[in-house]
Amino acid sequence: MTVPTVAMPRWLSGRRGIPARGRKKTWRWRRHILAVAIGVAFIFPFYWTFVISTDRPGQFDSFPPVLLPQWDWANWSRAWALAPWPRLFLNTVFIASCTVILCLITSTLAGFAFGVLRFPGRRALMALTLCVLMMPQTVLIIPDYVLATDIHWVDTYWIQIVPWGASVFGIFLVRQFFLTMPREILDAATVDGAGRLRMLWHIGMPAVRPALVIIAINVFMASWNSFLWPLVMTRSESIQPIEVGLSSFAGANGTDIPGLAAAATFTTLPLVIFFLVLQRQFIRGALSAAGSIR
Amino acid sequence: MIGTTTGAAGSARAQQGGGSKRARRAGRSRTRDFRYTKKGWLYSGPAVLIFGAFVIIPTFYTFYMSLWNWNVLNPSLSVYKGLGNYRELLTASDPGFLQTLWNSLYFTGAMVIAGTAISLCLALLLQRGGTTMNASRVAIYLPNATPLIATSLIWAWIYNPQFGLANWVLHSLHLPTSPWVEGQATSMPAVILFSLWHEVGFTTIIFLGGLTIINDEYSEAARVDGAGPWQEFWHIIWPQLRPVTSFVVVITTILSLQSFTQFYQLSGGGPNNATTTLSYLVYEESQVLQNTGYAAALAVVLFLITVFFSLVRWRTTPDIGITS
Amino acid sequence: MHSRYRRAAAIASAAVATVLATAACAGGGSSSSSASPSASANAAAISKPVTISFDEVYSSGTLKTALQSAVTAFEKANPKITVDLTTYASYGPLLTAETAQVAAGKAPTIGQAYESWAEKFASSKVIVPISSLPGASSTMSTDLSTFYTGVQNDLKLPDGQVWMWPFDKSLQVLFYNADLLKADGITSTPATWTQFAADLKSASKNGVVGITIDPGNATEGVTSGEEWLEELAASNGTPVYTSNGTPQFTSPAVVSAMEYLVNLKKEGALATGSNYPGETALGAKKGLVDLSSSAGYYYEQQSVGGKFPLTTTVLPAGSTGSVDEMAGANLVVFASATTEQKAAAWKFLQYLSGPVEQAAWSAATGYYPVTSQALTEPSMASYLKQNPWVTSTITELNNAIVDPPYAWVTQCGIDLSTAISAALSGTSASSALSTAQSACTTAKSNG
Repeated sequence: MTVPTVAMPRWLSGRRGIPARGRKKTWRWRRHILAVAIGVAFIFPFYWTFVISTDRPGQFDSFPPVLLPQWDWANWSRAWALAPWPRLFLNTVFIASCTVILCLITSTLAGFAFGVLRFPGRRALMALTLCVLMMPQTVLIIPDYVLATDIHWVDTYWIQIVPWGASVFGIFLVRQFFLTMPREILDAATVDGAGRLRMLWHIGMPAVRPALVIIAINVFMASWNSFLWPLVMTRSESIQPIEVGLSSFAGANGTDIPGLAAAATFTTLPLVIFFLVLQRQFIRGALSAAGSIR
Repeated sequence: MIGTTTGAAGSARAQQGGGSKRARRAGRSRTRDFRYTKKGWLYSGPAVLIFGAFVIIPTFYTFYMSLWNWNVLNPSLSVYKGLGNYRELLTASDPGFLQTLWNSLYFTGAMVIAGTAISLCLALLLQRGGTTMNASRVAIYLPNATPLIATSLIWAWIYNPQFGLANWVLHSLHLPTSPWVEGQATSMPAVILFSLWHEVGFTTIIFLGGLTIINDEYSEAARVDGAGPWQEFWHIIWPQLRPVTSFVVVITTILSLQSFTQFYQLSGGGPNNATTTLSYLVYEESQVLQNTGYAAALAVVLFLITVFFSLVRWRTTPDIGITS
Repeated sequence: MHSRYRRAAAIASAAVATVLATAACAGGGSSSSSASPSASANAAAISKPVTISFDEVYSSGTLKTALQSAVTAFEKANPKITVDLTTYASYGPLLTAETAQVAAGKAPTIGQAYESWAEKFASSKVIVPISSLPGASSTMSTDLSTFYTGVQNDLKLPDGQVWMWPFDKSLQVLFYNADLLKADGITSTPATWTQFAADLKSASKNGVVGITIDPGNATEGVTSGEEWLEELAASNGTPVYTSNGTPQFTSPAVVSAMEYLVNLKKEGALATGSNYPGETALGAKKGLVDLSSSAGYYYEQQSVGGKFPLTTTVLPAGSTGSVDEMAGANLVVFASATTEQKAAAWKFLQYLSGPVEQAAWSAATGYYPVTSQALTEPSMASYLKQNPWVTSTITELNNAIVDPPYAWVTQCGIDLSTAISAALSGTSASSALSTAQSACTTAKSNG
């Protein structure tokens, strides 16, 4: 088990496989029914949000609750008008994309350093990196704000991108992939006279691509979901991301539940679509990563 | 461990390198191997710089602040207290330190135990091909992909005792309704339920990954010998999942100890401090009450607890891979 | 000194010194000029263009639009002054932002602040007394005398100086569902708390719960539920704090106020929730009455949506009379503003508290005007006609209770909220209150 790519199970590759285990048919049906039931249970809150958002006035607080969408879009238009959503969307996409690119660069370089290279202080650096995970963000906010002001990054895009441009998870994931890579591949490259960077670019990166895909997806989603940091670090709506906009909307219009549901829906929908489109790559990458945990 | 070398490869390379006296050593030549280089610092530099500036340095600053009655508005007016904040922390009331600690451990324990068990069961259930299975996997992961703020807001409404979906479901099943986040005893379970809904997808995927590399031969052999599904799981699959399980436990522990958004949005730390965890208390003391030094001390305690749990896990399962 | 440290900040190894030095430097002697009162002699006229920033929480509905019109009108009358509004969703994020900005030496010119915040700001020397603003020394006392006495006293900190300036004040009022009152045979709204309890109990049937309150928590801050407890206690003779901020949570009047709430809960006439639950219940026709700030007036109407008429009344009386609590944050001016900014800020403060703007603001939002001169403004005429409760209750601004201006009051408020949810969850009222009393006393002694 040396190559970082995991033998893709039939069920993921998309072919309808014959179950490898010879179980009775009833097990299969029970399994499917259970899977559907659980899936529906998990999805239901999203469906419910959509229903509330299309309720006619006075319906959202009726008991028993209205369970079918009423297709009244008044809440959507009201919520849409109350904040500069298009700008917030653009901000979020921009910030998330830049963060992803930065994270890929730093994770690949550091993952390579920790996983392949040997240098004094390596273990100490790794331990230090792990400790980064353990500090609660709510307290780091104040010293970070002071630093941000000192370098004039407050209320800019920079402060929302750079501090998040390195991911502990990403570094160790890339490292994990490099650890499972056979030494011969990289050794062969040195024989050909390749420098480290070139080796990394031509051989290392393609080999850890599943890790990079999963890092990209994860970091994009995490950036989209970030809330406390941009709340403190930014003030202008022209550069704020969408979750801050949603939170402000909620704080200001907290009792407008249908409007809130509409806003929650359209701020989450792009991300959901993004995830649905990429979920196969995502799961594939996640499996490879998980499969290399040993 | 990657570090060990095969003698043949080492000396072969040494011969190709030629010239240097060191080349005659059987074994890897440290100077000729591209891996040994001080430039490792340059490669890890960007990441370390970012962490250093925005996390490591502020962490030390937090340690420093915890020794003072820190005036965040005008630091020159801060008063040195030594370990005074820590003393106050331990003797605090409403909520007491033990209560807060208990809340954190209650939440974390429930998330680790229930989360691991549930995601393992889901992974076992969903490790097949087919559209329904795939759709179900996506459905389970979807909550994890969506912003915590949005989902917290919606679940706050779901949990509304008078108008919410949750009580309507209970009502329809002829079960007694619950005050959910409004009740002192039911508040933490309600937050746990929401958090599980949000987190389980992530750990299920990890378990699915672990299951894909399970060696089928052992399972085949066991079935030939007449083992039932439970025995197959317990004796064959579960031991092979150990590193993955460890990973899941560690990640869930660290994330749960620091969970904040759901406590902020759903329950506000109440009622009667029932959901005031250490992490929430840090927010309350630093942002609401401006007791920055005290909050820093709490953060240090939270940090030490997190480190403690992580070390305990790593001691007991050394095969996480960090030791190489 | 600053430029050297700014470069060092980019180098990780020197960051420690940077952060620590920044912390020390951000304190005394921060950045630009500090105003000296003596330099205010001829600062009444603004000679060159100046921009002032204002941190506030008027982020939605009529509050947002009313503030924007106020700013537009002010800028028109003072063409050299530009007002930059920064809006926050609520007071929690506002405090976080103001603190972070001050800590980094980039405070706004004006910010909203509760009295307890102002005390901390003042003792940390990051705000300035109003009298020190250029142009204020001559006119401040006359302006002050136009406010209701309760408002005047609210602007002072324990040292007796005026550190805050008012913008809006509210009192608590009761919003009744008039149809339900009729259906339950309640011909006149209750005049005493005892009658109020009886009416709530008789109305609580068929899915209706008399009243739903929000006890409050650390995320939400001050809520109507906690204010109700304070009003009940004060109307029975003992306010929850003495005038110098000492808690009296275990005194008999406070305990009986708590037991009043517990009793209502036991009889099914009271429910708890968060996020203005009384408003939601009222709008859904599941509540008889909502106890809320008068500034929630337009929100209540929105929630009701015309389904039934609203009856708005004052609070009933306890054994020693009717007591209301005044709410609404004041305005403070930060020390790091330049002299020109402070002069412009004083003009803005005067404008906001003047009769013309107070009338317009009040009519648009449901806040009370802080000066009685606003009542005669033409813009208020129709509003007052439609809302007779305003004129009948406004004199309460002279003797309403207010939490004393001490920094520990924030913690004590949270302790009281916790006590309320504890008592409503089954803990005995007296033990819940004694927990709160000792926690608050500790907070007070820690300063």
